Order: sequence, then C-alpha cells, then structure tokens
Amino acid sequence: MNRSQSGKNGFVYKLSVRIVFTLVVLGIWEYVARARLLGPRSELIFPSLESIGAAFVRNFVKGYAHLSLWNYIGNSMKLLLAGLFIGIALAFVFSGLSTVSRTFSVIYNYVVSVCDLLPGVALLPVVIVIFGVKSGVIVFLVVHAVIWPMSRNIMDGFMAVPMIYVEAGRNIGLKGASLLFKVYLPASTAYIVSGLKVGWARAWRGLISAEMIFGIASCPGIGLFINQMRTNMNNAEMYATLIVIIIIGVIVQYGILSPIEKNTVKKWGMSR
Amino acid sequence: MSTILEIKDLHKSFSDNPDGTEVLSSLDLEVEKNEFLCILGHSGCGKTTLLRCIAGFESFTGQVILNGSAVTSPSPDRIMVFQTFEQLFPWKTVFGNVDFPLKQTGHKDKAERKRVVEDALKKVRLSEYAHYYPHQLSGGMKQRVAIARALALKPKLILMDEPFAALDAMTRRELQNELLLLSQTEDCTILFVTHNIQEAIILGTRNIVLHKGGKIVYDKRNDMEKPISPSSEGFGRIWQEMRDAIYME
Repeated sequence: MNRSQSGKNGFVYKLSVRIVFTLVVLGIWEYVARARLLGPRSELIFPSLESIGAAFVRNFVKGYAHLSLWNYIGNSMKLLLAGLFIGIALAFVFSGLSTVSRTFSVIYNYVVSVCDLLPGVALLPVVIVIFGVKSGVIVFLVVHAVIWPMSRNIMDGFMAVPMIYVEAGRNIGLKGASLLFKVYLPASTAYIVSGLKVGWARAWRGLISAEMIFGIASCPGIGLFINQMRTNMNNAEMYATLIVIIIIGVIVQYGILSPIEKNTVKKWGMSR
Repeated sequence: MSTILEIKDLHKSFSDNPDGTEVLSSLDLEVEKNEFLCILGHSGCGKTTLLRCIAGFESFTGQVILNGSAVTSPSPDRIMVFQTFEQLFPWKTVFGNVDFPLKQTGHKDKAERKRVVEDALKKVRLSEYAHYYPHQLSGGMKQRVAIARALALKPKLILMDEPFAALDAMTRRELQNELLLLSQTEDCTILFVTHNIQEAIILGTRNIVLHKGGKIVYDKRNDMEKPISPSSEGFGRIWQEMRDAIYME
C-alpha cells in the first residue's frame, strides 16, 4: 500500500486507520474494565465506557455544586478570551513600538527572551501574593502565556519581511504606519499565525493548571471542576471532563486556527 | 521633445564600503519624454544604483530633477519594475496587486479603478488571471503583472531593472515584443537596465553604456525602424559598437 497517497484516497485511508485504532484502544479499555484486571482499584482506574458516558451526561445535567459543567466551561472561556485578547493586543502594540524605537526594541527583545523562559505557573505564588485570589490572576497568567511567544513571532516576522515588498510599498508612497499595516503585517502573517498557535497552546495549558492549583469560588472553571472530581473520587466524571477538554482543544484547532491558516498563508502560497 | 529627467553631477558611495570608492561619480544625464532608454554595462558599473537613486531608494549627492522638481524620496511618479519575480504582494490577487497602488495613490472611485485595472491587465494579456494569486502564476506572468501595475499608475518614469533577466529565452522574447508594443502605444518614458545588447537594440530608442563609476562611454539614439530583429539592416553594426563600448579599456 502506498502511504504517500494524497488527496481523497489519502484522507479516507488516514481516517479509517484512526477510527480502527480508536476502536481498538476503547475495546482494550472496556475489556480491562469488565474483567477487573487491576483488582479492587480497577473500577477507579478503568471505569467502564458506559459509566464514563453516563458521567459525561451527568457533568452537564447535574454538574458539581449545583452548577452544570457548562458554567465551568463558560467561566474558563471568559477568562481565557480576556487573557488572549489582552495578550495579543499588547504583543502587537509592543512589537509595533519596537519597530519605531531602537532603544525600546533592545529592551523589549531582552524582556521577551527572559520572560518567555518563565513558566506561568511558577509565577502563580508571586501573583497571588500581589493580587490575592481573584479571577484576574488567571487572566494575568493567560496574558503571560500568550504575550511573549506572540511578540517574539511578530518581531521575527517583521525582521523577515523581504526588502522587495518594503520597497514596492515605499514606491507607491507608503511610509510609517501605512507601511506597517499594509506591508509589514500581511507579509509576516505566517509568523503571526504560528505565534497564535504557540500562544493558544500555552494559554490553554496555563489556564487549566492555574484553575487546578487554586479554584476561584467566584469564577470556577474547568480546572477546578476536574480537580473536585478527583477529590470526590468521581473518576468516571474525571475522565469525562478530560474528553471535554480534548473536544474544546479540537474545536479551537480545527474550527479556528486551521481555517485562519487556510484562508491566509496557505491561500497566498506563503506556507504549504 | 522635452526633457523629463535631468541628472546633474550625481555622486553615490555606500557608507559600508571600506575604501570609499564611489559607485557613481559625477554622472550627468538627460532623458527626453517618451524615450526608451536602455542602460548597459558590466556588473558593478552602477546601473542598478543609478536606477535606485532616480527611484529615491538611495541617498546621493548631486541633483536628480524630474519635470523641474528635485527627487528626494520614493514616489508613485517613478515606478520600479524589479528583476525578481517576488515583487508582487503574495496576499493580494493579480487584480489586487494592480488595484492596491491605485487606491493608495488617491484614486477613490472604485468603478473607475476597476476599469483602469482591467485595461492594464488586458494590455499584458492577463485578463483571465485577475483572481489568481501570485504563487499560482509563472515567472513571466508575474513580470507582466508588475508591468501592468506600473502602467496603471501612469507614472512619469518606469524604471525597469533587468525585468526579463530571470526568464527563459522564449518567454523573454515574448515579453520583449509586448513591452516594445506598449512603449510605442503608451505615453510613457522608460529607463531599462539590461546586460543583453540584443535586448537593448530591440527595445531602446536610445542606448547608453556605463563603465565603472557610472562613466557614460556610449550614448546614441537608436533610429532603426522597429520592430528590430538581428537580421535588420544595421543591427550588426550597432551591436558591434555597443559591444566594443562595453569591453573598451
């Protein structure tokens, strides 16, 4: 069988391999669960698919502490979006400023290099000491997760804009802000999109981690929910929440990021 | 005939050049309106630098005067057509690449712009490719779009820096013929840098040869009746003259 097949055949092939693989894994899971292969703890580690399915429904219908999982998802998304928005906006502002001022650029490059290495969760104790336990702390962590990789990519993207585009732009009278918005920005879309991907991945991980470490009663999120399921030994619910987290990731990846890529850099032949 | 471009005592050296030699030293040149001026010379003689000074991309001392006013910075009245195929904006379609400069230079009326763009694309025989993106075009087609982009703006000068040098011989001939036709029918003045003597004779109404430092060693009108081919009468003589000028010590 030719594995390098492209087009429709390749797609059908890949899809069927994945479906079969998933079914096999689920089959093994169910066998281990029903045969209680892990002894007395078997039910905790491998709840049956049926109980996970029931827990999935229960998460949304009954939820925890009189709140459906929808509420937790909503809270998480609210904080995530606020953080992403602020982080991306600040990244654009600061990266833009660093094209204008050389001193600012030197300082900002230095700040980005240092802060980029600092895991957001490690900052958590410091941030809590400063701000207290508020939902703003989680927004802060999301901003921290997204602003540095995004800035790094925007600045690298601006540096990598071919001179020919800049000259073609200047030739028709573009300069300053118009050159920045009409040439530098579109020309570095490939870098900006890859910055978005890295930023999203870090923000998503950072959000769930922070929510698990300390839940905020005023704004409880998915991380808090899954942690409560562990505390209460509701293991089927725990697995069901993991599935929800994966689904959200898939929706963002294939529903938002991939279409952005497809309609920009891929359409323009700037990336394959 | 009226003078459109006047260059007086042009000096240019690059600051990162350690021995401080000038790429162009005291160059004087006048170009008539509607002239097709071909500029030849060895690599490093300053042809491209001259064009870039006229375009306003380089700082220089001396004067470049276009229609009575001094050139200091890039402007849409002098449009460059570069050698590289990658001079189009990849995020815009063929139509967008021609339309965008018009929009930026104050052509507000969208319907009028559309007419101008379609007209320009028709002139370079790319009407059917208006909605294509640059990466879907061949090298020759991209250069045609660049020419259409320049024509649509109706600049005072079109500055062409070896636009056909990276094309295969057949496409090159095709584009030369098209450009010749356009230069004869359009109201435009073209400065065309090339390494190819035959190309210069076929296209130019006047040819100059530069030596190191931008010294003009050959400057003659080319009055042969167009279209010119290597079998045209007098072709061999001009070719030999220009070749001698290029290789003259």
